[in-house]
Amino acid sequence: MTRNNGVQRRVATGLALGLTLSITACGGNLGGGSDAAAEDFPGGDPVTIYVGADPGGSTDLIARALADGASDDLGVAVTVENKPGANGALAARELSGEKPTGHTLMVFNGSLAYITPLAVADDQAVDIADYEIITGVSQDDYVLVTAPSSGLTTIDALKNAGRPITYGTTGVGTGSQLAQALLFGQTGIQSTAVPFDGGAPTLTAVLGGQVDVGAIQLGEAIEQIEAGQLTPIVTFAEKRPSYLRNTPTAVEQGYDVPVQQSRAVFAPKGTPQPVLDRLRTSFQKVFGSDSYKKFNQDNQLTPNEVDGPKLRDEWTANLSRYQKVVEQYGIDMGGDK
Amino acid sequence: MDLSPVLDGFGVVLEPTNLLYCLIGVVVGMLIGVLPGLGPAATIAILLPVTIGIEPVSSIIMLAGIFYGAQYGGTITSVLLRLPGEASSVVTVFDGHALARQGRAGTALGIAAIGSFIGGTVSIVALSLLAPLVAGFALDFGPPEYTALAMLGILLVSTVSSGHRLKALIAACTGLLLATVGRDGFTGAERFTFDNLSLADGLDFVPIAMGLFGLGEILYNLEERHRATQAPVTVANVWPSKADLRQSSGAIGRGSVLGFVLGILPGGGATLSSLAAYAWEKRRAKHPERFGKGAVEGVAAPESANNAAATSSFIPLLTLGIPANATMAVIFGALLIQGVSPGPQLVTQEPELFWGVVNSMYIGNILLLIMSIPLVGLFVKILRVRATVLAPITVLITLVGVYTVNNDVFDIVLVIVFGAVGYLMKKFGFDPGPLVLAFVLGSLLEDSLRRSLLMFDGNPTGFLTRPISGVLLATFVLVILVPPVRAAIRRRAASRKELV
Repeated sequence: MTRNNGVQRRVATGLALGLTLSITACGGNLGGGSDAAAEDFPGGDPVTIYVGADPGGSTDLIARALADGASDDLGVAVTVENKPGANGALAARELSGEKPTGHTLMVFNGSLAYITPLAVADDQAVDIADYEIITGVSQDDYVLVTAPSSGLTTIDALKNAGRPITYGTTGVGTGSQLAQALLFGQTGIQSTAVPFDGGAPTLTAVLGGQVDVGAIQLGEAIEQIEAGQLTPIVTFAEKRPSYLRNTPTAVEQGYDVPVQQSRAVFAPKGTPQPVLDRLRTSFQKVFGSDSYKKFNQDNQLTPNEVDGPKLRDEWTANLSRYQKVVEQYGIDMGGDK
Repeated sequence: MDLSPVLDGFGVVLEPTNLLYCLIGVVVGMLIGVLPGLGPAATIAILLPVTIGIEPVSSIIMLAGIFYGAQYGGTITSVLLRLPGEASSVVTVFDGHALARQGRAGTALGIAAIGSFIGGTVSIVALSLLAPLVAGFALDFGPPEYTALAMLGILLVSTVSSGHRLKALIAACTGLLLATVGRDGFTGAERFTFDNLSLADGLDFVPIAMGLFGLGEILYNLEERHRATQAPVTVANVWPSKADLRQSSGAIGRGSVLGFVLGILPGGGATLSSLAAYAWEKRRAKHPERFGKGAVEGVAAPESANNAAATSSFIPLLTLGIPANATMAVIFGALLIQGVSPGPQLVTQEPELFWGVVNSMYIGNILLLIMSIPLVGLFVKILRVRATVLAPITVLITLVGVYTVNNDVFDIVLVIVFGAVGYLMKKFGFDPGPLVLAFVLGSLLEDSLRRSLLMFDGNPTGFLTRPISGVLLATFVLVILVPPVRAAIRRRAASRKELV
């Protein structure tokens, strides 16, 4: 609730501020070209950040944390606009149609760039080559969990279960599905995927023993793990996340499947470099603040605050790597592929 | 039972903001209860976008207040003007208005208010006791149980509801079809999306509800001529006499229990229970000829029943995530907008929300009891607001409102399309309720069924070996089989009699 109030207040003050500033800005800006516009950025106009998911999810919370801090630095209102639909593809498509002025941005999910394309038809998939990348933000780890009563608390136990394993995923084309499909494909464990609608229902299904195991984002499962209601089997991170030191990674166990959710700030293609730089500086200030660091801690997020080109390399490499292994192990991610 | 979350719930209600939203809710509820036409489902649907900016607890407290407040409001015009504001107050007209013409309008309103209060309270107490019980089974409710529950829900909605059974079934099937639109959650295949990304996640519930209930009902009402309102009868001495109270106490008790039971049933709800309570009271009366000529029981029974039902219909929603009627379907949508998915987990995961909303009903009912009598005159005046003023404003609010939910122009198009559909449905005697409910339950049914079959490795007998889903499916079969079998037995008995 405080969140909503805060947003409204910010919008209101931002609007008032924006109005006064834009009047002065228009006067001083006559005859200025696009370079001048870039130097003046944001020029008194508010910035909107799209989120391709409902309010309250991790992507939304991250966007709001970024918007809060960036607004102070840029001196204009930075508002978050939720445009849920098609795992974020809807918002991404809308972003690509916006003017490349730096006033419309989006917090992009890595899964949209390197996992969803494995599951949906080519014309539905998003290509990150169609966007500018301002900065990487953070990564979220998937953890494979089971109910303690299942007795399947290690990979070996899963191998020796003597029956097909059912695993809950947070949906088709998600990291949760890919990570588990790869793990079970590589270990040769006979298994069936049961897709649920997001993290919370998957968690409930694992807790209730409706499925044997499930992969959930760390932040969504940590409470139950600490309370002993769920047993972590492995994480799918590259190295052990600081929030779950005692749980091995799948990589340590000899399986080549690091799968993480990653988030970055995107802008429409053609946004001038000075504007991108200005925005990155602004976000870096946010990254450096104590309150943002605490936000990452509280939500079990691992910072990945790399620059645009580095992030593009990471995500492109992920996509080609996943395409290769999916083919190698004959994994079927979806019907249209 | 641990009482501390219940008490915390009272703490939540007594926060000034929540009290205010409760008050707003019941006042708006009474208003639309007084106005013929716009019902609670429509009002709540139109107000859905407003709730985005409000805290979940406050918004649901307000929407719930609208629902049970409307049951009170509908009574006032039934008694004074012979003009039922709500479908659930239609039967109150018979004896309520008769009493008013005998100069005992105050008695009728007083009895109705007291009956409503008792009916509501009985239901709230039962709700408080039942919900945690169901929540204890929360983790046992897996995909197979939801499959069985959704099937039973859709069946009951299309057979129990008060309208035409075949038409209800057609509407429900249409709802199921609409639920199939969107990307297949299991294979990623596109279904009926016509390459439109806005349809990739399927049709959104909010524009459908706002179109069918909101816009559709406004359009339909424009056709109705406004009847000239009679001068309202003056109301004096609303406190019923001891004799009246004694005479109606049995009716209030029976109405409360009947309303509670019918409210839980999918497809039941306030209207059906008020009709049933009136009929029951008349059948068991020593002098049934008194009914329709100003019998106090004829007011007490249906008014207690409709309020009890309005409250108890929250039980399946808040404990199982299954809406029992159209209004609950819309409140279901409101919870989803707030990021709360109603289900067996709600009581334990969101105790503040659950107990806050449940306990707000005590406060709301007290507020209604206090307000309903002194404000009678004001509410009657509202009837003079012309539809030509009200309708365009409501349409505007609807269209602007739906845009704010997802910031998507496509939703406005959807509201207009479903508004036209809702208007045509009403015109040709189809209740849009079963359509909306089947739409909500349709995706639950499909997803749960396919999930279950994955869990069972394709073996459908798995449904029967799990106790909860087995019992639910047996009930499903009984609901289908009992009516024709009973009819057959009756036919045979009749023919045997003829033979003799």
